[in-house]
Amino acid sequence: MFEFATLASPYSMPAALHGDATLTDSSAQSRARALNQFLAGVELKAFKIAQAALRHEDDALDAVQDAMLQLARAYADRPSQEWKPLFYRILENRIRDMQRRRTVRGRVLAWLPQRGEDDDEDYDPIAQAPSPEPQPVKRLELGEAMAALEKALGELPRRQQQAFLLRTLEGMDVAETARAMGCSEGSVKTHYFRALQALRAQLGEFYL
Amino acid sequence: MSPADEPVSAFERNVRTVLEQSVQHIDARTRSRLNQARQAALAAQAAPRRAWWRSLALMPAAGAAAAALLVAVTFMQHRGPGELPVLEGPHTAVAGEDYDLLADSEGLDLVENGDGQFYEWAAAQADNGESESQG
Repeated sequence: MFEFATLASPYSMPAALHGDATLTDSSAQSRARALNQFLAGVELKAFKIAQAALRHEDDALDAVQDAMLQLARAYADRPSQEWKPLFYRILENRIRDMQRRRTVRGRVLAWLPQRGEDDDEDYDPIAQAPSPEPQPVKRLELGEAMAALEKALGELPRRQQQAFLLRTLEGMDVAETARAMGCSEGSVKTHYFRALQALRAQLGEFYL
Repeated sequence: MSPADEPVSAFERNVRTVLEQSVQHIDARTRSRLNQARQAALAAQAAPRRAWWRSLALMPAAGAAAAALLVAVTFMQHRGPGELPVLEGPHTAVAGEDYDLLADSEGLDLVENGDGQFYEWAAAQADNGESESQG
């Protein structure tokens, strides 16, 4: 009889059975714990990925925060195996929105007269000159290695950068990366391969 | 197969090492802000969301309000033309005259040509009317 009662429509059941409420609470708590664990596990890497794309710490933090909120609000009920690709898909959309907004803002600011005076400051002939250091760079301290890598990553096209970071930093496989990027697995492999080639060319085969 | 299981070159291994090191070197302030963002997301997830069918509970109240509004509008439309509540009393006539003057091109010509005699006569008529009514 009890089994039938649990299978009956919720509208035909008493408003709140104490046992059911406890079960629901514990289920919600365990889901919240799982979500907390998931977000804690991805937040630092997600921040690095957002920072590589946006090259701005506060913007990267905002993007990660928005992605966390959206995942928690809209997709917390989904199976936890789906969270990672979903989270990175949301993050990527947020990053793209921010980059578009920046482009529009840049176009608007370009109309202002004082903007033209600053253009000369953007071009630094010393920074643009070819490096006298031998290529490939063989030995770098860790800090320098990080700086060189971040610079090289920043120069990659966005899709290559995304594929490379999701695979290398986040440790996602090709299928997961494809779901996160919203493209085919073949495209992920192509983007990753091109990113790898560009980074090798930039940093040298014997990087580190 | 995850990237950790795939055969990778020394270059890829080195890059991965550097990336992991850079994550470990994220400063405390950023970590704290990320932690706050996570707590905010968890709080948002825990906040109860109103299911669409719960909004049906508001249907009786909304229906009563709509019915009351319908009755009010119907009542207003069925009042006679002399009972309009807005345009009543002497001010209505004044306002109507003002509109007539504004719409009348002759009235504007009168003002523009500066016919002072007419205004003096009109003022005298008004004074006479007031003194007769008081007397």
